[in-house]
Amino acid sequence: MSIQYKSIKELKNMLNDKDISHTELVQETFLNIKNNSALNAFITLNEEESLKKANNLDNTPSSGSLAGVPIAQKDLFCTKDLKTTCGSNMLSNFIPPYSATVIENLENAGCISVGKTNMDEFAMGSSNETSFYGNVQNPWGKNLVPGGSSGGSAAAVAAGIVPAASGTDTGGSIRQPASLCGISGLKPTYGRVSRWGMIAFASSLDQAGPMARTAEDCALLLNEMCSHDEKDTTSIDEAIPDFTENLNSSIQGLKIGLVKEFDLSKLDNDVVQVFEESKKHYESLGAEFIEISLPNISLSVPTYYVVAPAECSSNLSRFDGVKFGKRCDSPKDLEELYIKTRSEGFGDEVKRRILIGSYVLSAGFYDAYYKKAQQVRRLIKNDFDSAFKSVDIIMSPTTRGAAFEAGSKGDDPIQMYLEDLFTIPANLAGLPAMSIPNGMIDNKPIGLQLIGNFLDESRLLQAAHNFQISSDWHLKTPSGNKS
Amino acid sequence: MSWETVIGLEIHVQLSTDSKLFSGGSTSFGAEPNTHVDLIDLGLPGVLPVANRGAFHKAIRFGLATNAEINQTSTFDRKNYFYPDLPKGYQITQMALPIVGKGSIKIEVEGQEKIINITRAHLEEDAGKSIHDLFDGETGVDLNRAGTPLLEIVSEPEISNAKEAVAYFKAIRQIVTFLDICDGNMAQGSMRCDVNVSVKKSDAAELGTRAEIKNINSFKFIEKAINFEIDRQIRILEAGDSIIQETRLYDSVKNETRSMRSKEEANDYRYFPCPDLLPVVISDEELIEIKNNLPELPDEKEKRYVKEFGLDSSEAKIIASSKTMANMFEGACAKTDDSKLVANWLVGDISALLNKENIDIDESNLTSENFATLIERISDKTISGKIAKSVLEEIWETGSDVDDIIESKGLVQIQDESLLETIAQTVIDNNPSQVDAFKGGKDKLFGFFVGQVMKETQGKANPQSVNEILKRLLS
Amino acid sequence: MDKKTVSTIAYLSRLSLNEENEDKITEDLKNIIKFVDQLDGADTNNIEPLANPLEKTAKTRTDNVTAKNRKEVFLERSPKSNEDYFLVPRVVE
Ligand SMILES: [Mg+2]
Ligand SMILES: [Zn+2]
Repeated sequence: MSIQYKSIKELKNMLNDKDISHTELVQETFLNIKNNSALNAFITLNEEESLKKANNLDNTPSSGSLAGVPIAQKDLFCTKDLKTTCGSNMLSNFIPPYSATVIENLENAGCISVGKTNMDEFAMGSSNETSFYGNVQNPWGKNLVPGGSSGGSAAAVAAGIVPAASGTDTGGSIRQPASLCGISGLKPTYGRVSRWGMIAFASSLDQAGPMARTAEDCALLLNEMCSHDEKDTTSIDEAIPDFTENLNSSIQGLKIGLVKEFDLSKLDNDVVQVFEESKKHYESLGAEFIEISLPNISLSVPTYYVVAPAECSSNLSRFDGVKFGKRCDSPKDLEELYIKTRSEGFGDEVKRRILIGSYVLSAGFYDAYYKKAQQVRRLIKNDFDSAFKSVDIIMSPTTRGAAFEAGSKGDDPIQMYLEDLFTIPANLAGLPAMSIPNGMIDNKPIGLQLIGNFLDESRLLQAAHNFQISSDWHLKTPSGNKS
Repeated sequence: MSWETVIGLEIHVQLSTDSKLFSGGSTSFGAEPNTHVDLIDLGLPGVLPVANRGAFHKAIRFGLATNAEINQTSTFDRKNYFYPDLPKGYQITQMALPIVGKGSIKIEVEGQEKIINITRAHLEEDAGKSIHDLFDGETGVDLNRAGTPLLEIVSEPEISNAKEAVAYFKAIRQIVTFLDICDGNMAQGSMRCDVNVSVKKSDAAELGTRAEIKNINSFKFIEKAINFEIDRQIRILEAGDSIIQETRLYDSVKNETRSMRSKEEANDYRYFPCPDLLPVVISDEELIEIKNNLPELPDEKEKRYVKEFGLDSSEAKIIASSKTMANMFEGACAKTDDSKLVANWLVGDISALLNKENIDIDESNLTSENFATLIERISDKTISGKIAKSVLEEIWETGSDVDDIIESKGLVQIQDESLLETIAQTVIDNNPSQVDAFKGGKDKLFGFFVGQVMKETQGKANPQSVNEILKRLLS
Repeated sequence: MDKKTVSTIAYLSRLSLNEENEDKITEDLKNIIKFVDQLDGADTNNIEPLANPLEKTAKTRTDNVTAKNRKEVFLERSPKSNEDYFLVPRVVE
C-alpha cells in the first residue's frame, strides 16, 4: 500500500490497523526520499536513527500522538548529534550538542525526524535559491521554485514524501512556500512556539510552525510543537488549547476582514479570480466579509527590511570561526580569520542583509532607520489591533502569484522582497497566520492567507478546515488528484 | 593660568552571584579553563539568554545604598563588536534603561568630605579571557568568565585629582563589600576601573577633550595612571597641540599610558534593544523587601559603635570602615564585655600588624573567639598588656589558642605580692648607687627599678603591683 | 550610500567584498535604502518604538548553577583548540 500523499491521520490509521509496520513506513519514506532526490529537498538524512526508532516502536508501542509519523525538519532547528547547517556553508560541519525545543516536543510525541530539509541560507530568501546546498525543485514543475525559506520542507510535503514538516516563518517563510507548493502551513502567534534551538534570523519576528497537506494535520502538529519553555523568555506562558477541538464547528457568522489597502488590481487576473472564488466559497459557508483599513500596511515591507536585517546583522556575528562552524584556511591574523571566514562562509544574500543591518544601526542612521522602523512597526500593530475589534480573521492572497521559475526575479533583490508583501505584516505584529491551497493557475497551486488575532490559532485552523472539508484544492498533487 | 583636571570613573564590579547573568554557568573563580561554560555562554546557534534575578537584586542593593533612583522597569541592549573572548559578537548590556539611575556617594580626602554624583549603574555581561603569552603565535580563549554579571558604575565627571579618584574607588569598594554584592578582590579582577581624564584652563567653561584609560585594577595604579595622564595632557596643551579623544592603556611597568587607537579604529557599537529579552520589572513589594534586608553600612555602624559600645568616634570610624574589621569587632564583643579594650587592640597593635603585612584581617590567623579570649586574659589580669603583645604575635604566626600559648610558655602574670616584694628588695640591695641617686631627687630612676624587676620576672610581674611595692620600699 | 560607506560597514561586519560584487552590492544597498526611505513618510511623532510584538515583561531565573562542565564537547566542535583553550592567531594588545 502506497504511503505517498497520505495525511498524518491516514498514516496513523494504517499503523493502528497494522496495514504497515513502523519499520516499513520508515523504509518506504526513505525510498520516496531517494526517488525524489532530484527535488534536492533534503540536506541531511537521518536514516539509521529513524529505522532504529521505528524498530523500537514495532517492539514497544507508544501512546504518543505522533508515534511513528515521519516528519521532515527544517535544517534551521538544531538537532542533537545530527548535522545542522541552516543552509549555509558556515555551518556545513556543525553538529549541535542539543536539540531545539520544537524538535524535542515533536520527538517526545513520537514522531520520527527522517531528515533535515533544504532552505534559503539562514532563512534569508523567498525562492530557496540562496541555499549553499543548491536550489530546491518545486514538485509541481521543472525549474519552478518552491518558495522560501522553508522550501525543502514545502517540497517534501508537496511531493507526498512526508505527511508533514516543520518550518519557520520570519516574513512569510512558511506561508509563501506553502502557497507555491500547494500545501497548508501555519505561522503561530509570536511566542506560541519556543525559539530555543532555532538558529535565529530576526529574533523578534522568527516563529516556528507546522507545514502539512491539511489544516487538520497542522493542528495535530501544532498541538505538540507548542509549549511554555523556560529557556525562551519570549515563549508565552498561557494555556495551550487542543487545536483540533473546534475544527469541525461551523463558521456560520464568521466575520472576515478584507484589507482595503491591499490593491489586488495590481495582481494577475487569474490570481484575483481565485481569490474571488474563495470569498464566494466562504460566503457559502456562512461567513460575512467586512472591509477594514490598515492604513500603515503599505510600509510593512520597508519596515521589515530595516528590522530584520538589523537583528540578523547582530545575530550572525557569532559565526566568526572561533568556537564552532567553519574557519578559513590558515589565517595570518585575527582580522583575516574573521573576514575570510565570514566572507567565505556566507552567501551574497546573507552578506547583503548583514550590511543593511549594520548600516541602519550605525551611528547617525539609527534614528532615521531603525528607530523609525520600530515606530512604524507599532503603528502597523495598532492598525491590526483596531481591525480585530470588528473582524474575526483577515483574508488575503498569500502570494502575488503562483510559483515562478528559478532565476526569473532577476538581479534586483527588491523584486524578491516584494514577494512577501502579504505575509510580512503578520510577523511585524506577531499575529498567527496561515496559508491553504485555494486554486490553480496554469496548473500551479496558489494559496489563500488567513490572519488571526493574537493567540487565536484555533479559529484560523477552524476556518481552514471548514474550507478544506468542502473543497479539494488541498488534495491536488503534482501527479493528479489524490485518490 | 592654572590647569584644572576633570575625572570620571567607570567601575566594573563583578557581582557575587552563584550563576551567570544569562545562564546557569558557575561564576566561581580559578576553575580550569572552559569548564564553567554553558551553551549560552558559548553563544551557540539558537540558544537564548534568561536573566538572573539575583543579579538584579544585588544591583538594586547598590542603588538603594547610594540613594539612587531604581528603574523598576529596565531593558537590555546589545553592544556589537568582534573579539575572540566575546562569544556572540555582542555584549548584552543596559544602555537605554539601566536598573540604577542617578545616585551619589560620599568620599573623604585628607579629612575633607565631598559628594560624588553617580550617573548610573547598569547590568552587563563580562567577556571571557584571552591568554596571549602561553602558546606560540596563538592566543588561547577561556570563556569561564564570559557571562559573569557586572555592575558598571558610572560617575559624573566631578573628581578633581588622583587622590579623590582613589578615595572614590575605595568608597565604592567599601560599599559593595558591605552590601555583600562583590568580594572586592582586586587581584582576581572583581573590580576594574576605566578612568576618563581631561584637563582645562581653570576659567574655561567647556570640558577639555578626554582620554579614557582602560582596565586599571589597583589603587596604586589608578593614582599613578591619572597623574601620568594629567602631566601628559598639560604638556601637550602647553606646547599648543590638542588632545585626541582616544582609549589608552596604562603600563604599570613603565608607568605610562599609551594609545590603543588601533583597537578603537572605526568602532561603532551599533547598540540596539536586545530582541531576545523583554523588559525586566521589579515590583514594589520586591523593592521593599530588598530595602528591609539591606545590611548596615559604615556610617550607621560608626554611630552605633559610639552609642552602644562607647567608643570614641575616631576609633569607631576606623573599625566601621572595613567590613572584615567590623565583623571582627562585633564578633569579639559578643564574647567579651570590654569592648573599649577590643577597639584599642584592633586600632592599635592589630592594625599595625595588618599594615605591615598588607593583608585583610580575615586573611590573618586571628579569629574573633581567640581575640575575645585574649582580651579576657588581659582584663582578668592573667597576662599583662606587654605579654599580650607577644601572645598576639604568636597567634599571628601559628593561630594557636590563647590559653594554650599562655600555659605552654608559662606566661601567667605573677600576682604573689610577697614574691614580688622579695625580688624588689633584691634589686634595691644590688643597686645602692641608683638608690642613693633616686633618693637624691633623680625621680626618673624609678623606671630603672621597675625594669629590673620585670627583667627578673621575665615580664610576668603585674606592673601595677610592682609600682606599688617599689614606691613603698624606696620611700 | 557610496563605496566608502559600504567598505566601512563591511569592515564593521567583518566581511570583504571582492571587486566583481562590490559594485553590485553597493548598487543593491543603494536601492534597498532608497526603498526603505519610504518610512520617512510615516508620522511617528510620539510613537513609542516597538522592539518585540510581545508587550510583556520578562520571566527571570533564580540564581542557581545548573550547567555542567562540557569542555570536551565544546572544544571538539571548535575549528581550533588544544585540550584547554579555543585558539586563534596571536592577538597583539
Ligand atoms: Mg564603559
Ligand atoms: Zn562596561
